Amino acid sequence: MNPRIKHRITRRQSLTLIGATLIGATLTAMTLPTASLLANTGGMRQKAFAGTDKKLPVIGMGTWRTFNVGNDPQLLDARTEVVKAFFEHGGGLIDSSPMYGSAPDVMGYALQELGTPESLFAAEKVWSPAGGSAREQVAELEDRWKVEQFDLVQVHNLTDWREHLVALQEMKAEGIIRHVGITTSHGRRHSEIEQIMASEDIDFVQLTYNITHREAENRLLPLAEERGIGVIANRPYDGGSLIKNLKRRNAPLPEWAQKECGCDTWADFLLKFIVSHPAITCAIPATTQVKHMHENMRAGYSSPMPSANARQRMAAYIESL
Amino acid sequence: MNEWTSYRLQDFIPFTAEVYFRLLERMRETFWPLHLLTLALGATTLVLALKHRPRLACLLLAPLWAFVAVAFFFQRYAELNWAGGYVGNAFIAQAVLLALMALTGWGMDNAPRLKNPPVAIGIAITLFGLIIMPLMAPLSGGSWYQAEVFGIHADPTAVTTLGLVLIILRGFALWIAAIMPALWLVVSGMTLQALDSTVSVVLFAVLAITLVGLVWKSIKPKR
Repeated sequence: MNPRIKHRITRRQSLTLIGATLIGATLTAMTLPTASLLANTGGMRQKAFAGTDKKLPVIGMGTWRTFNVGNDPQLLDARTEVVKAFFEHGGGLIDSSPMYGSAPDVMGYALQELGTPESLFAAEKVWSPAGGSAREQVAELEDRWKVEQFDLVQVHNLTDWREHLVALQEMKAEGIIRHVGITTSHGRRHSEIEQIMASEDIDFVQLTYNITHREAENRLLPLAEERGIGVIANRPYDGGSLIKNLKRRNAPLPEWAQKECGCDTWADFLLKFIVSHPAITCAIPATTQVKHMHENMRAGYSSPMPSANARQRMAAYIESL
Repeated sequence: MNEWTSYRLQDFIPFTAEVYFRLLERMRETFWPLHLLTLALGATTLVLALKHRPRLACLLLAPLWAFVAVAFFFQRYAELNWAGGYVGNAFIAQAVLLALMALTGWGMDNAPRLKNPPVAIGIAITLFGLIIMPLMAPLSGGSWYQAEVFGIHADPTAVTTLGLVLIILRGFALWIAAIMPALWLVVSGMTLQALDSTVSVVLFAVLAITLVGLVWKSIKPKR
């Protein structure tokens, strides 16, 4: 028998094979979505940053006040649980500072307990004194975090930013750190921030942006988009007072919030407002509680995000309360 | 935006209320039953002050200030707040000041009269620091572990000391010895206010009453 004939398949076998292939491909697509699908439909929403094709989850984590627990074993374990929940949701950016007391040490404790997941995007800061201290500060903070390299090092509140930026750029060029940024908060020194964004080669700017503090929309956020600078929004709940007041007053979510923005909680409402701005890379709410971490992270999941019109409606609603 | 007007009290407190109250609990976890000894020392100091032994009373206060400096500020509070080390140094300075006053006898009021209003205020503040302050946490819904005790925690040590110096000191020395405990109560009161604790009101009230006592004793230094 001709071997070619021996291996010839029948029409029925062909149809079966084609069908099986189609079903298999469909199942594969359903169970193993590509990175882009994950970014926009199934998992935590992610955004590209700093003019690269790298992406960050839109909800990160801050550590000001919340992670400064000293060496209290009870609270060290409690904060580790918060970090664990953050990573379980696919969290990425964690921001800290040498000005936050023991927070860098507490992060080191948590990472030692949990291991360091690939999703971690470790962000730190340098502050006074300037001069040659940036390298020493970064090395010391790496020891405290127990990480080999920071993904981002920022100049804290523009402290001696000229000297620090030069040093950080050198460290970036040498591969000691991956990205460079500057920070401010509470709407302070925006004109100086704007000048630095326009003239310096930075990857990130961190500033205060939330539904009641929107000054950055005027100049800084458009400039960040134009220059391809990633934006980290700090104080998303205005230091906690915004969401606490809404919850304390039992303020109702507007009826349209679920349909238009997929908001089931105030955390959804406040965080989605921030991260739906096209210039914002991620928001960094801080919390001491696992329950609140779950709430925060759910806001980054890819239910509908508010449109530009919906964002205006959201801001107007908060103003009306 | 004016940079300084944008700051709020909370911006200067780098920890949460939970962490602060755990700090108080950890003092109890570590040092109990030393609390009983420091309270006994406080009671002894009051008795010595009223028995016209002001130098010995002043001397007994000094090691307690040094202990709070080391155990509370250097070893614990400084982990949470970079300024904690400086406050610890100030507490050490207060310990040295009290010891020097005791050894030299500078500014001692050797015969305080109970009927003298500033002395009566001093006694009331001392009793408040020794007896009422440890009860405030449990009576306001907190745990016994958060009870603040003279000689262990900073606030009752400062309050009790203010009461005692009103009894045992006079003149310029009285004001000098009152500066550090009063300043700490201002800092602590503002911290507690930022942490939404009503205890801040108590500390500010003690400060106001102490100020009345200080002025009164300065206006009428001779009995």
